[in-house]
Amino acid sequence: MWRSRHAANVLSEWRVKLPEKPLDVKYFGNLKSRVIDTGICSRCLTCAAVCPAPEGITAIDGVVFENWEEKCLDCGACVRVCPRFEYVPKSGVGDYIDIIAARSKRFKGQDGAMVTEIIASAIEMDIIDRAIFVGRDEEWRTTNFHLRDTEQLSLKTLSGTKYCYSNALSELRDAVLMSEKGVGVVGTPCMVSGVRNLREQYPVFRKVKLSIGLFCTENFHWHELHEFLSKKGVSFEKLIKTDITKGQFIATMTDGEVSFPVKDLEEIIPSGCHVCTDFTAVDADASVGSVGSAPGFSTVIVRSAIVKDIIRYIKQNNYAEFGDVMLKVVQKMVKLKKKREAHLKK
Amino acid sequence: MRDVKKIAIPEYDAIEKARRHVIALMTGAREAVTPLTFTIHYPKERKHMPDCFRGYILFTPENCINCWQCAFICPANAIRMKKASDNRYYPTIDYAKCIFCHFCVDSCSRGALRATKIHDVAYRDMDEMLADTEELVENPDVHREDERYVDYVLNEDDAVIKREKGEDRFFVEIPPPPDVRFVARCADPESCLGCRICEHVCESGAISSVVVNGVREMRIDEKKCSGCGLCVKECAMQILILVRVR
Repeated sequence: MWRSRHAANVLSEWRVKLPEKPLDVKYFGNLKSRVIDTGICSRCLTCAAVCPAPEGITAIDGVVFENWEEKCLDCGACVRVCPRFEYVPKSGVGDYIDIIAARSKRFKGQDGAMVTEIIASAIEMDIIDRAIFVGRDEEWRTTNFHLRDTEQLSLKTLSGTKYCYSNALSELRDAVLMSEKGVGVVGTPCMVSGVRNLREQYPVFRKVKLSIGLFCTENFHWHELHEFLSKKGVSFEKLIKTDITKGQFIATMTDGEVSFPVKDLEEIIPSGCHVCTDFTAVDADASVGSVGSAPGFSTVIVRSAIVKDIIRYIKQNNYAEFGDVMLKVVQKMVKLKKKREAHLKK
Repeated sequence: MRDVKKIAIPEYDAIEKARRHVIALMTGAREAVTPLTFTIHYPKERKHMPDCFRGYILFTPENCINCWQCAFICPANAIRMKKASDNRYYPTIDYAKCIFCHFCVDSCSRGALRATKIHDVAYRDMDEMLADTEELVENPDVHREDERYVDYVLNEDDAVIKREKGEDRFFVEIPPPPDVRFVARCADPESCLGCRICEHVCESGAISSVVVNGVREMRIDEKKCSGCGLCVKECAMQILILVRVR
């Protein structure tokens, strides 16, 4: 509190622009009526990252703000950052500097463990000093994990796809305020779009130096997926990893495998995912996924100069081996997801 | 081996030896009649404490600016802020927890908390150890039996105990702190959410906001701002800072 800063740029009078209010209720009411109640909310929780109200926006089975009529401070921050309030669906491979396929030599993960590798390298390079990872508990419920040291990456619950929503962004502001150098965050395309909005709207969030997007077709609500997989005979205590390959959902357990066509999962796809056309996380600094590279490799779409430096560092230290990218496969998935535009028109 | 000094037994002549024997006998005789002990005969005597002694803490509500710094800084969590009838919050000290570090006294920018030299306080039970604001305002009743105060004096050869008649002062007059004024200002206006938590917590009503043409205009009245730093602590984006003004 008492740390000295240059007194030149400090003001005792300043202005905050307010977003327009379509409805004459508090801003959360506007967000609720336009995004949450219409079912286009992706539960990225960018709103929770900024909401300043004590006991404000939380995520218990959806975006919740209990008693918002009273407790909402009516600041309009949630509306300013919500990626779906003025929804312009994004699609395509997006702007990029480079596309590579790589496999980490240091870490083991779902495919090439490149998310872990990039975050670990960024911490080693002193670009960031903490990162929010999505871990899981024994029942594969997502939990947030604040990574501060590369040694913590040996935790097995951190890597691997969970196919469940995470509330990582709700802890982003705390992470940003505690960090000295920068913060890294990993998320789905909707979360990454939220992070982009946060950076544009509020300079404090420019401390998020690294936002890594994951290739995403859809994501599931934990309790629905849990119920669905339990019916299919998946026992969560024995579950090692979940994966989608060639149209099959494969759950690997200690004593065998359960697999079924991905189409079976369609009934539990959340409504927020139905309107999303962004497969490659175009707003990210780097997008990572298995599509478009050989088994055991990850495709990395490099979109910012910082990530370019990190990849150079990985190459210099020989932390990863590199392979070929099949861009056509990625583009095919992009096209497939773009078809969802039809849902939005409804 | 430069630092090592060889010491020989001193050689005295006969007269010097006799003189030293007489002195030794006299000291022995004096100690036999009136022994000079180092023990302080409490409660008849008290040790003379230096002015910076960290004892029982007193509070002057008129100087308090409600900044909560004492409660925030207390490492033992002994200080709780309690709402008074004038809607302001004043400290209470739980002496069951207090470690007498006096961080609170040092952190108080207006000198509302003062140190005393009282250190011998007894309580009947734990509940009694919680000193309310009212108890902190008035000088505590101390039953004094002391007639002398004692100083240890170090002279060239030896430590000597020095007893003087009279009472040691418990309450030290400390000059008021220099008038260093702080005011809150915004260091990063672009990151302001406009949530007005600062306005809600401000005790002196210095922060105000108005909405004009879809723009929220925030203003800190520097004349009213007491520099307590509550808004700085509560700001969700931590963009407010205290700036020193001269």
